[in-house]
Amino acid sequence: MARSAALTELHERLAPVTLSRDQLLDVPEPLAPLFPFGGLQKGQTVAFMGPGCWSVALALAGSAMGVDGWMAVVGVEELGLIAAAELGVRLDRVLLVETVPPAQLGQVLAALVEHVGIVAYASQRPLPPRDARRLTARARERSAVLLDLGLGSGRGAGAKSAADLTLATEAEEWAGIGEGHGYLRQRRLTITATGRRASARPRRTTVLLPGPDGAIAVVPSEPQVEISRHEQTAEERPRLQVVR
Amino acid sequence: MTAIAGIRTLVVWCPDWPLIAWGVPLDEPAVVTVANRVVATSPAARTEGVAVGQRRREAQGRCPDLAVLDRDVDREARLFEPVAAVLEALTPRIEVSGPGLVGFPTRGPSRFFGGDHAMAAEVMTVVEPVLARRGSVRVGVADGVFAARLAARSRRSRDAPLVIPAGEGAAFLAPLSVGTLEMEELAGVLRRLGITTLGALAALPAADIVGRFGVEGQLAHRLARGEDDVPPDLRRPAPDLAVTWQFEPPADRVESCAFVAKMLADDLHSALGVEGLACTRVAVEAETEDGRTHLRLWRHEGALSAAAIAERTRWQLDGWIRQRSDRPGSGIVRLTLVPDEVVPATGRQLGFWGGRNENVDDVTRVVARLQAMLGPEAVSVPELTGGIGPGERVRLVPAAAVDLGEERLATDPHSVVEPWPGRIPAPSPSRILIDPVAVEVTDHGGQQVGVTGRGEITGAPALVRLASAAGGGASGGELGVSGVHAVEAWAGPWGAEQRWWDPIGHRRCARMQVVLASTDALLLILEQGEWAVEAVY
Repeated sequence: MARSAALTELHERLAPVTLSRDQLLDVPEPLAPLFPFGGLQKGQTVAFMGPGCWSVALALAGSAMGVDGWMAVVGVEELGLIAAAELGVRLDRVLLVETVPPAQLGQVLAALVEHVGIVAYASQRPLPPRDARRLTARARERSAVLLDLGLGSGRGAGAKSAADLTLATEAEEWAGIGEGHGYLRQRRLTITATGRRASARPRRTTVLLPGPDGAIAVVPSEPQVEISRHEQTAEERPRLQVVR
Repeated sequence: MTAIAGIRTLVVWCPDWPLIAWGVPLDEPAVVTVANRVVATSPAARTEGVAVGQRRREAQGRCPDLAVLDRDVDREARLFEPVAAVLEALTPRIEVSGPGLVGFPTRGPSRFFGGDHAMAAEVMTVVEPVLARRGSVRVGVADGVFAARLAARSRRSRDAPLVIPAGEGAAFLAPLSVGTLEMEELAGVLRRLGITTLGALAALPAADIVGRFGVEGQLAHRLARGEDDVPPDLRRPAPDLAVTWQFEPPADRVESCAFVAKMLADDLHSALGVEGLACTRVAVEAETEDGRTHLRLWRHEGALSAAAIAERTRWQLDGWIRQRSDRPGSGIVRLTLVPDEVVPATGRQLGFWGGRNENVDDVTRVVARLQAMLGPEAVSVPELTGGIGPGERVRLVPAAAVDLGEERLATDPHSVVEPWPGRIPAPSPSRILIDPVAVEVTDHGGQQVGVTGRGEITGAPALVRLASAAGGGASGGELGVSGVHAVEAWAGPWGAEQRWWDPIGHRRCARMQVVLASTDALLLILEQGEWAVEAVY
C-alpha cells in the first residue's frame, strides 16, 4: 500500500504539467472546427439543442470514447441505441440508468463522473444551480465530459445551460428519399457552437450526419450533382451511329 | 517437426458436479442455471430433453417438475475439497482446474502403483467412497492435460478408466470434433472451412495455422496434435514472486481469509504484471497452527486474473477450514501464493504517463454504488437482439447480470445475422419514442392514407397532423413538432408481420419514413388503422 502511495506521489511530481487544452479527446474530423482547440477538452460540459442534436452527441461520444473509454446515459429512455452503434459508440462500454428520481439526479451524475469518461444525461427540470456547479467542478477534476442532451429533440432546452459549449443544430435537407422511393440516407446539418471563454466566438460548420457511410462526414466542397442516365441532355448523349 | 507429446496426465472428472454439490439425487430432474441459461443438467433431466444452453423457461416447458437451482460456485468448490484431499494422499502434485475437474502428472505415481491402469483403478477406488453414490466419477489417462480430459469425458470411460497408451494421444484425438477445443469462434471458422475434426486440424502445417489464426490457432493446433497447451521450452521457471501473509491471531474463519486472499491476489498479479508475466498455475500454500503445511495447485487454461486467483484461494481456504475446523490447532497462520507456472503476458499495456485508465474495476464499483442508491435493476447495459422496429433491436439487461470486464458477444453488431424482412435500412433514428404519438396522415385529396393487404400505399401522403400539445402526456409539444405539416418526401411502406403463428403476440404493421416541410424526419408506424410517430431521426 505504502509503495503504491509513494508511486502515485512520484507520478504526480514527475508527470509533465499538461494544460487542459493539451488533454484533448478525439472528435470526429468534421466537428473539429467547432472546438476552439480542435478537440473536446476533458472536463468540459457540452449542451445540445436543435433537431438531430442527439445524433451529434452520439457521434461526438463515439469518437471521444476512444479504445477503452466508457459512456453512461442517464435519464434518457428514448435514445436510439442502434443509431449510437452506427455512429461509433461501442455498446459493450455503455451503461444506462434509465429512470432517476429528479432529487437524486445530481448524486447519480456525481457518482458516474468519478470513473466514467463520458456522461450523457437529460432531465425534465434543470439541475439546481448549486448541484450543477458542484457537478461541473467534479467533472473537471475527474476529466470527465458531461453531455447535456436537453429534452427530447432538445428544442429550447439547454438554452440557458451552464455548459462550457452549446451545440445548436439546424437541419437543412435530407437526401436519398423521394416521393415514395429511396430511404433516408444523408442529412445536411448546420451546427453552431457558442460558449464561454475560449469558445465565446460562435463557430459554425455544416456536416453530413449521417453521411454516405452512415457515420458523420464533411460536406463535399463541390455539391455532387448526380446526373442519372435519363436526365442527360441531348448534347451530352453520344450520337447514334448507323451500324452495318 | 516432431510432435513433443504432452506430459502424461491423469484427469478425474465428476460429471454433473454442480448438481451433486447441491445434493440433488441424480434420478430427479434438476438443472443449474446462470442468468436464466441452463449450465448443468441431471441425467433424469437429460432424458426429458433438457440440454445445456437452453433457456430456463424452455427447460421448464419440457419438464414441468424440474428443480431449478442457481449456480453456487463457492459451494461446488468447497464440497469438491474432500475429493481433492483423497487424491492428494496418492500424489502430492494435484492440479485442480475447477470444481469437478482435477488432474495430476502420472510419471511418479503410476510407477509406484504399477502402471497407468492400476493407478487409474486405485483412483476410482479412493474417489468413489467420497462421493458415496451421489454421483459417478470418470478417469482418463493420456499424454497432455487436454487429451486426458477428453479421455475422461469420453463415452468409453463410463464403465472403466480410459487409458490412452503413450504416443497414441494424437490418434485418440483425431476423430473428435473441433468443438471439443472450447474455442467457439475458431471452431466455427474451422467448420466452415471443412475442418471438422481435430485430426484434420492437426494435419495442417503449423506455420499456415499461425499465419491465418494467430496465437489462438497455434494453441488449438498444439492441442489437436496431442501436445501441451504451453510448449515445454516456453515454460520459464517462475521468478521468486511468492507473496505471503502472516495471520495474527490465526484465522479460523473463511471471512477473515477472504479479505487477505483478495489482497494477496492483487499483490501477486501486480508483481507478475511488472515482470510482464501472467500466471497459468498458482500454488496456494497454507500453514496451520499445528505446524502442518497444505499445498494445492490451481490451473487455468488462459491466464489467471487477479479476481480469479482470489476466488481460487478463497475456495481452497474454505475447503481446508471447513474440513478441519473440528480439530484444535487448525487455524491458518500463514498463507502463501506462489506463481507455479508463468507465461509471457499478452494483455493490454497501460498508458505510461498516468493517463487515468477507466478500468473495469472502477466502473464496476460505480455500478455497485448506483445499485445501492437506486435499486439492483437501476443500471442496465444494452445487448443487440434480432428485431424489426428500431426499438426492438436492443434489449436492456441489468448490469448485475453480466460481467462488464468480459467481452460480451451480444454487443457485437455482427452477432445478429439473420435477415429481418421489413427492417428499415440504416441510418437508424436517434430517438425512439417510448409512447408513440398519434398522427393523422392524409393524401392530396384529404383521404386517410392506408396500406393495403398487399403492402401498397393507398395514396401519396401529403399532410401529417400531429395531436395538439394539449393532449397531455407524450404529446406533440414534447416531440418538438406539432400542428399540421406538409410532407416533403416519403418512403415506404415497409410491411412487417410478426409472430403470425401466435394468436396473442401476433402483430401486423407497416412503417413509413416522412420528411416534413420543417426538415424533421419521422418514422411513422401504422397499426390497426392508426398512424403514430415511432421514432425521430
